[in-house]
Amino acid sequence: MLQPVRYTLLALSLLLAACSAPDPQTRTSSALASEVFKPAYAAWAVSSQQLTGSAGALCAGSIDLSEARKSLIKAQTAWAALQPLQLGLITEGNRSWQVQFWPDKKNLVGRQIEALLDKNPQPSQADLKQASVVVQGLSAYEYLLFDPAIDLSQATAKTRYCALLEEIAQHQKLLADEVFEDWEAADGIASQLEHFPSPRYADAHAAIADLLRAQVSGLDVMKKKLGTPLGVQSKGTPQPYQADAWRSGESLNNLAAGLASAQLVWQGQADNGLRSLLDSSQQPLAKQIDQAYADTLQQLEMLQQSLTALFVADGTHAQLQALYTRLDQLHRLHERELAKALDVQLGFNAHDGD
Amino acid sequence: MQRRAFLGIGGGLLTSAALGGWVLARSAAQPLLLSARDDGNGQHYAVGYRLDGRQQFSTRVAQRCHDVATHPSLPLALFVARRPGTQSYLLDLRDGQLLQVIESPTDRHFYGHALFDRRGDWLYSTENDTSDPGRGVIGVYQLHGQRLQRHSELSSHGIGPHQLAWMPDGQTLVVANGGIRTEADSRTPLNPQEMDSSLVLLDRSGTLLSKDQLAQQQNSIRHLTVASDGTIVTAQQYQGELTDNAPLLAIKRPDQALQPFAVAEAQRMAMHQYCASVAIHSELRLIALSAPRGNRLFIWNMDSGQLRLDEHLPDCAGVASTADGFVASSGISGCRAYECRGASIQRQMLQLPAGLWDNHLRLA
Repeated sequence: MLQPVRYTLLALSLLLAACSAPDPQTRTSSALASEVFKPAYAAWAVSSQQLTGSAGALCAGSIDLSEARKSLIKAQTAWAALQPLQLGLITEGNRSWQVQFWPDKKNLVGRQIEALLDKNPQPSQADLKQASVVVQGLSAYEYLLFDPAIDLSQATAKTRYCALLEEIAQHQKLLADEVFEDWEAADGIASQLEHFPSPRYADAHAAIADLLRAQVSGLDVMKKKLGTPLGVQSKGTPQPYQADAWRSGESLNNLAAGLASAQLVWQGQADNGLRSLLDSSQQPLAKQIDQAYADTLQQLEMLQQSLTALFVADGTHAQLQALYTRLDQLHRLHERELAKALDVQLGFNAHDGD
Repeated sequence: MQRRAFLGIGGGLLTSAALGGWVLARSAAQPLLLSARDDGNGQHYAVGYRLDGRQQFSTRVAQRCHDVATHPSLPLALFVARRPGTQSYLLDLRDGQLLQVIESPTDRHFYGHALFDRRGDWLYSTENDTSDPGRGVIGVYQLHGQRLQRHSELSSHGIGPHQLAWMPDGQTLVVANGGIRTEADSRTPLNPQEMDSSLVLLDRSGTLLSKDQLAQQQNSIRHLTVASDGTIVTAQQYQGELTDNAPLLAIKRPDQALQPFAVAEAQRMAMHQYCASVAIHSELRLIALSAPRGNRLFIWNMDSGQLRLDEHLPDCAGVASTADGFVASSGISGCRAYECRGASIQRQMLQLPAGLWDNHLRLA
């Protein structure tokens, strides 16, 4: 008599398990939120926290300039890794401008910092918050640590720049903390990418669309960050000082960090990224995108010097151009083919308005 | 037979008398939202929806349209091809019947905007003279029954004309010359470093009355709207660097020159150098502006400059004024209505299809 009941219970539990198993889009959205996006924002918050300690230590004389530069590069790299992961609070209120100001065609960073300090030699956190985004971020911090005209190992330079340096670091810490808290909050962006419907996403497909938009938009910016110094927009005339991190020489490392994140969105940490949503008939496209990542990374690995150094080295312009071509191909595959395969409208007017 | 010949489609010629009930009928109903829209497969449509979500019509058209010119008294509207489109579509707004496909003449293409005059007898359309790429032309069409016939053309007194509007006298046209030269079948700028954008006023005979320009050569004046007191507000698309400080909203108050409308850095940078649609609520003295690349919708008081709304609206597109505020559409999300009479602006989601709305909408 117990046997039928047992089978019924077994069938019921199997049914419940089937019902509760997330659909592929929910699984991917959830996995990318918790395993790719959130850890990257956490890493950025940690690096921004360390930047405040580093700024204080440099100004107190307990570390040297090279140590302070390492902390900045760590924060820059953590930020560059977020390029294809721009989702949530970071996209609101010009927060990304507050971290990086690019392109800086007219050296606004340098000019505005000097003008600010001429007017107010000891800016407070409140002063910095009121100031332009141009002087609030890592671009400004990079200017203070790397500009050839400033030597922060010298006492006179410290007297002029240390107050601002420490306030920028503090501003970055507060900003990164605020953004990361939104990833952690019970009703924050990560949660909204995991449970549907959420205030932001009616269903998992809407979340997948937003994740892909972030990735494609990041690839587009990375392309521009390489293309601008290469002169893609200026009839081929190289403009090395238009690179995003020309002072620290980290432009190509930044590109590598962004590319690694884009690839993680594609593959996932455990083969549960956007790639896993393609069905068997779409495997040729999956292989094409795999190959495009491999080609771009391989080309990038061949370029072992900083972008600025490469411009003055013989014969490397062609290699940089080849890297741009591969990056362009990678971007187009996502923007056109992957978006179509996943049935995602990337943008209508924003991408092709009038 | 010239290529400009008009292709009439279906529907016999209705007289104005047969359409006379339209004014009464539309005043009793919910406003009709008109816009160009796509479907997920990239097909183009001219659509009309009541604001409560009821579809009035959805008419498939061959070319993607941009703005809609509504007739002042008859249930007619012209859905205008965006650049470099060569067809515009005259529709019966009661059922969406396609009454006429207007082909642009040889060496001309549409720029996406047109408008009827106050009486509805004439239609004016911004066009490109592709034999001299970018030379701005205003095509003049006469309405005969339910057919538009090209009558003549005027100079726009500038390059790459885009949106145009009537001044309150109904006799003076204001035209935004975007300043960008493009060839037939192309959207690629030929003169990125030598742009020449302007805001011009001209009379119906085409005589230039005034010409304003903004300081930065790469600041393209694209869209505009006119308040009942004659104040003109323009929305720009800046072609220079993302980080340049370019005024994307400008205002020309009566008898004054065009000048930047004060926008704080936070809002200006959030626009990502690109504005789509601008609308004025004359009674409430409000300006609404969509910035699809920045995914923001803004509302300011046009006299005090006070920011009333700065809202996340993904790929926001068309904006138009309603009795109590504005409605806004989106390229990727839902349409919204904003009630602006109170101390704080109230948002309401509209039960309209989400996404794929083009940059402009009109209420009839």
